[in-house]
Amino acid sequence: MTSLVNARGVSKHFGAVRAVDDVSFEIEQGKILGLIGPNGAGKTTLLKAVLGLTDCDGQLSVLGLDPFRQRKELLQNICFIADVAVLPRWIRVTQLLDFVEAVHPNFSRKRAESFLQQTKVRSDARVRELSKGMVTQLHLSIIMAIDAKLLVLDEPTLGLDIIFRKEFYSNLLNDYFDEQRTILITTHQVEEIENLLTDIMFINDGRILLDESMDSLADNYVELLTSGESALKAKGLGPIADNEIFGKSVLLFEGVSRENLEGLGELRTPSVADLFVAKVKGARQ
Amino acid sequence: MINHYIALMKREFWEHRSIWVTPVAIASVVTLGTLTALTFAGEFAQELDLAIFGAQNIAGDTERKGVLTAYFVGSSWLFLLGLGILTVFYSLDSLYAERKDKSILFWRSLPVTDAETVISKLLTATLLIPAIAIVAIIGTHIVNLIVTSIWVSMKGGSATTLIWGSVPLLDNWLATIVIIYSVAIWMSPFLGWFLFVSAYTKRAPLLMAFLPLVLIPLVEGIFFRSGNFAEAVWGRSAKIPLFAGIDMERFFDENHARVSEEMVSLLAHLDVGKFVTHIDTWLGLIVCALLTTAAIYVRRYRDES
Repeated sequence: MTSLVNARGVSKHFGAVRAVDDVSFEIEQGKILGLIGPNGAGKTTLLKAVLGLTDCDGQLSVLGLDPFRQRKELLQNICFIADVAVLPRWIRVTQLLDFVEAVHPNFSRKRAESFLQQTKVRSDARVRELSKGMVTQLHLSIIMAIDAKLLVLDEPTLGLDIIFRKEFYSNLLNDYFDEQRTILITTHQVEEIENLLTDIMFINDGRILLDESMDSLADNYVELLTSGESALKAKGLGPIADNEIFGKSVLLFEGVSRENLEGLGELRTPSVADLFVAKVKGARQ
Repeated sequence: MINHYIALMKREFWEHRSIWVTPVAIASVVTLGTLTALTFAGEFAQELDLAIFGAQNIAGDTERKGVLTAYFVGSSWLFLLGLGILTVFYSLDSLYAERKDKSILFWRSLPVTDAETVISKLLTATLLIPAIAIVAIIGTHIVNLIVTSIWVSMKGGSATTLIWGSVPLLDNWLATIVIIYSVAIWMSPFLGWFLFVSAYTKRAPLLMAFLPLVLIPLVEGIFFRSGNFAEAVWGRSAKIPLFAGIDMERFFDENHARVSEEMVSLLAHLDVGKFVTHIDTWLGLIVCALLTTAAIYVRRYRDES
């Protein structure tokens, strides 16, 4: 597997605040990695470092380049949609396509126009005349028409209704993603993307709490729904989270085999959201 | 590389409509002014009639050229004034607007360097805006000459001789081009300053740009009893070493029967060599380069989130 992003001891300080604190990870080609963390966890700072928008300490290589110092070369093979990267309101759709076509060597105008034909976005419209959903469709159409190796999405569907959100991810998977491409995505709506992800990373207070493939999550984490005597016995096995729901105990285990828990209650693979809460709470205790 | 700059300057043209709206507005005002003047002259001052354009009491060809050149220069100055105001507002808005409407991260998500973006804005102010103004000036001159020719013909004069034969078009236009681009180069330290303020300030770029230019001379005057800064900044526009000077005494000397050809040539009044070799021209360019570099640095290193 080719490693697209390689971070070793990456840190970013804002005065006394450590937004990213000695973080190391790798992202391999063909993966869809979800970067999950609460507000202020350091997600956006980390993404900005990956995109070369901010300098950082430590070793960071993206597509074999130093992102901050070789940003122009990097951005020929990397795209991003960020909630804060809004399209200029004064520009017309055709002007936007003209501009991207002129500056981006890997942009296919034909592809972008064919994506746009499937939407209600008119080519002579100005961005300020479009709804938020349509602006996101426009942005996505441009991004999907760029033959990039890495796509970074930072809260891409924030403020969109459920129909646009579903459509966004479906377009992304069906029309964009293949084994040659890699997607790094952050969102608060974890439930909506957990089925898309191949890998997941939790970040809190600038530190990585979890970095796993989705396949290995089922092996390493298990949730037990139990009560009474069995619950007491299970709690002795050291769950990382312990919640009470409708009189039943919901216990989350890390590194405890399913064989050891069988017979104590109902076993299932925890949702990413539950695992995230358990990990963040565990890190705070 | 050049494609990037063309695309970036197109972006400026799309984003800042005042770049073409201002010259069009001035051209309309000048043309309207000419039409009004001609109507006025036609109705109330029959005796002036063709005299204005050199038919009777302006003796010869060079005098007519002088009158038409004065008319050309007058309308060109209007453009130059409009161009100056437009450039101040444009350069102050150029790096501020993209932060204000939060589109900066989108622009920075494309493979274009911060240096290319900032330099494209400098080029827009020093090349594109003057070029559009020059086209507007030439267009206005031609339209106004056509209007005047029609008027002269209606009065029974020969437009071919009185207007087109007398207009030193090439001389005027070449001089206009030289003056406009020289002024752009001479005033470039201000452009650099405006770009820097536009990239740096969080609010009110106009105020932030002019406040130091007013306060520093005040402070210098109070504490050092000198006016060097004010002289360098506010006195600069009057010191452009381009104009060779007009010999007014000779121009209005009654003993001179004729105005010489050289005296009505605008180009003959320009000293390009002196402008190009003057130390202050180069110092200005260095200040502009330093401030533009500072603007690039701010756009590159500031965290916009």
